Amino acid sequence: MKADIAVVGSGLAALVATRTLHQAGRNAVLIWPGLSSLYFTYATIDVLGYSDLTTTRPVEQPEAGVAQLIADHPDHPYALAGLEGLRSGTTLLIEWLRAAGFAWQGDLGRNLLLPTAIGTPKPSCLVPDSMAAGDLRRDDPIVFCGFHGYEDFVPELAASNLSRSWGRGEHSVRAVRITLPSFEPGNLFTSIDLARSFEDTTFRREVASRIRREIGVDGVRVGIPAVLGLTHDTDVYSSFAAEVGHPVFEIPTLPPSVLGLRLFDRLRKHIQESGVEMIWAAPAHEAEVSDGQCRRIFLKSAGREQPIEARAYVLALEDTVDGALRAGVHSMVDPFFHEALAHHEMPTERTDESLFKPQPYASIGYRVTRRLQPSDDAGRPLAGNVFVAGGAIAGYDPVGTKSRGGLAIATGYRAAQEAMAA
Amino acid sequence: MPDTTTGVVVIGGGSTGAGVLRDLSMRGIDAVLVEKGDLASGTTGRSHGLLHSGGRYCVNDLAAAIECVEEGRILRRIAKTTVEDTGGYFVSVSEEDLAWEPRFVEGCAKAGITCERIPVEEARRREPALSRHVRTVFWIPEDGHLDPFYLVVGNVESARRRGAQVRTYTEVTGFLKNDNRVSGVVTRDIFTGEETTIGCQAVINATGAWAGFVARLLDVEVKVVPVKGVMVVLSHRVAHATINRCHKPGDGDIIVPALSVAILGTTSAKVPHPEVLPIEWDEVHHMIEEGALMADGVSTARAMRAYAGVRPLYDLGAEAEGREMSRNFAVIDHEARDGIAGFASIVGGKVTTYRLMAERVTDLVARRLGVRTPCTTAEVALNDREDEMDQLRHRPAQLGVPKPHGDELGLQALICECELVRPQDVAPWFKDPAVRTLEDIRRRTRSGMGPCQSAICSYRLAGRLVTERGLDGPTATRAMADFLETRWRGVRHVFWGSQLRQAQVTTGVHLELFNLDRQLMHDLPPSLAGEGRGGGFETAEVASQR
Repeated sequence: MKADIAVVGSGLAALVATRTLHQAGRNAVLIWPGLSSLYFTYATIDVLGYSDLTTTRPVEQPEAGVAQLIADHPDHPYALAGLEGLRSGTTLLIEWLRAAGFAWQGDLGRNLLLPTAIGTPKPSCLVPDSMAAGDLRRDDPIVFCGFHGYEDFVPELAASNLSRSWGRGEHSVRAVRITLPSFEPGNLFTSIDLARSFEDTTFRREVASRIRREIGVDGVRVGIPAVLGLTHDTDVYSSFAAEVGHPVFEIPTLPPSVLGLRLFDRLRKHIQESGVEMIWAAPAHEAEVSDGQCRRIFLKSAGREQPIEARAYVLALEDTVDGALRAGVHSMVDPFFHEALAHHEMPTERTDESLFKPQPYASIGYRVTRRLQPSDDAGRPLAGNVFVAGGAIAGYDPVGTKSRGGLAIATGYRAAQEAMAA
Repeated sequence: MPDTTTGVVVIGGGSTGAGVLRDLSMRGIDAVLVEKGDLASGTTGRSHGLLHSGGRYCVNDLAAAIECVEEGRILRRIAKTTVEDTGGYFVSVSEEDLAWEPRFVEGCAKAGITCERIPVEEARRREPALSRHVRTVFWIPEDGHLDPFYLVVGNVESARRRGAQVRTYTEVTGFLKNDNRVSGVVTRDIFTGEETTIGCQAVINATGAWAGFVARLLDVEVKVVPVKGVMVVLSHRVAHATINRCHKPGDGDIIVPALSVAILGTTSAKVPHPEVLPIEWDEVHHMIEEGALMADGVSTARAMRAYAGVRPLYDLGAEAEGREMSRNFAVIDHEARDGIAGFASIVGGKVTTYRLMAERVTDLVARRLGVRTPCTTAEVALNDREDEMDQLRHRPAQLGVPKPHGDELGLQALICECELVRPQDVAPWFKDPAVRTLEDIRRRTRSGMGPCQSAICSYRLAGRLVTERGLDGPTATRAMADFLETRWRGVRHVFWGSQLRQAQVTTGVHLELFNLDRQLMHDLPPSLAGEGRGGGFETAEVASQR
């Protein structure tokens, strides 16, 4: 199979890169290794939540925060992508979300502060409309609403934590629970089951009326688990909020994250519908390189290896999640060039003693040139027409600073630009 | 005057202490068990879970082997729900193993262990996991898996139904004495620091590897040699039956399919203290290599975590060390030996023979107390009240299959999908004052023991700390974080392959979705994890229930 530019990956970076190429009128093929764990843990798009790993003060203005980060760390992937990459990528994504039927809000000028399912405030930059009313910069009281028999969102836990940290007074946060219509106690229902049920008008109306009755006062906003529709979130959310009669906001739950499913499923489908060829569930590996250029990459598909021949390639993989890195017992190797990216005498070296500290393994990835080409130890490109985006770039870990989404957007956009110029 | 009084205080909440508590209660003797950690948090819960047929000891330690044969048969009767009757293979993979075989066959005959040589082809048909290195195979039908947590909890609950009491996270710091007679213990609550005295007629020291420390409080010596063993947990059962190497017991020569996982054991190294149990990479690596000689799945299965336990080998004064030392046990009558009345120690032994150990020491103490009721622990089943045992946990083993996917469980809400733990399995434990950390819930239900290592259930359990235990959010959140940290400590040792993807899910949920790392920098209550206790969520309400 031949293409102008091949993009490999199943996360936000791959989608942004593909959309960038498509918007520019280029013939792109998207090679999607399969469901990544992003589906299960994604909700908002975080650009920069904290400026470093020790501060507890959230970044208020993500764009200014990233500019400062670039000034302080000229080798950071944000610096390689450039502030312009972040701005253009974000504009492209917001417009795309609108075109795909999403209602999202946010701009790089400010972070929202949203309550999580454990009741901690978390800074996020771009968020679905359905989450925005949770913004803790507003003062109105919050009622967390859970459902009896649903274990993946515990309103009492969220309320207890938030009432201690938010500082709007003891009575400004409380928890309620309602019984969902037609659910028997002891029955299994997952977030996905609930999201499907919420697409039903009668069900939704009944839940709304039960919540309204349970709350019984005016002037509050209602936080509920993010289960308001699996695919048609915009309609589901707005009609539900109207029926509840209070501002409503969704809170991301334990996996599977319905918000992540909505986002990735819809964007993937939308890009396919707009005519981009997509190869589904095919892990790509092995780059054939000659004269400093990648000639072909190979897909593992049923029973045989399929070569993909492109003029340029964007490797937009998310760490180990979708196969960017292979972790053997002692070494971590990339699947395309078979470069040993790290060597460890003992596997414990890959981790910190605490789960809550930065993990060395998360920073392992491709060393890249200033043009995002994967490079060898000496900084020479492994292939001049390959560009890396997303979590597979070495040297940073977006977990602690809450910057995964922004980095994916900025590097995805920039890698696509480079691929077009190559 | 002591704060409370009882007949006998049992120190130690492992299998031996739990067995003693049950035995005492069945003879009608009032008893209180005190344990400085949780039940089964020391040697018992860190064993490999092999229900010994005796085959492993029959050459070098015939007396221990014979005890295993008898006790294994008793356990199959009285503790059905803790035993998975897998049977086992002893396999030879080297010339040395083949040379060991005649001694093994002879040992089995002497100990009364059923042992059948089967052709390798036939063995491979029954057990496709056997590696190509396997040269000869013996079938030992009485090897199996013994769930150590369930065994201890089953014994303790049986004793509680008969009026016995349990105090976890309660350390003995001193003894009350009347001349040369022990008349009680002084205890300290690990979480609150509160001191309490319990008056009694006798104290039984069932603390295994810690027995020397307890005895020292009375200025008497009990020499226990702490010997570390490291285990690796594989993410699936790997084999149908247990697999032992047919040789002089060594490193990495046991594979035990245990519920949803397999446990690969073990190593042997003397340690200076029973709580100093570093897991060395060389040990983990060597075990996987050795295990792979016996079964193909070992090197390809996902290693999920590693853990270390300590054998409480009793020094009979011989020159032997480590595995050379007997796995036999001894009852020490401190009245006869040291002139201290009302104090006895039970040392050595192993989980498989816990009941016999309990019987022997209880015989001694009961005799001293003038109680003539005979021991009935070998006859009366642990779950003599079916309904309550059922509540402990739904046991796949009871259904005769390893894991009943679909059917009944598939339609129920679950707290832990990995281990199929239902809400009703965890609910009673939130009301039990002996349960004071989420690790304690894990030990009683298996929640958090599966492939995701508590990434999912930790949140649900933390939620229940608020809704069912009445804790505040920060305390419950700290308990959740401590639970995750405790699991992480085992995960780190086998961090390759898909473990990295799993870790990304865990950090994706807890650090990215929940922002837990920043929350921990705020004003959460302090953790006890640094002391190796996985964090406690003791509160005033809980304390008042005690």
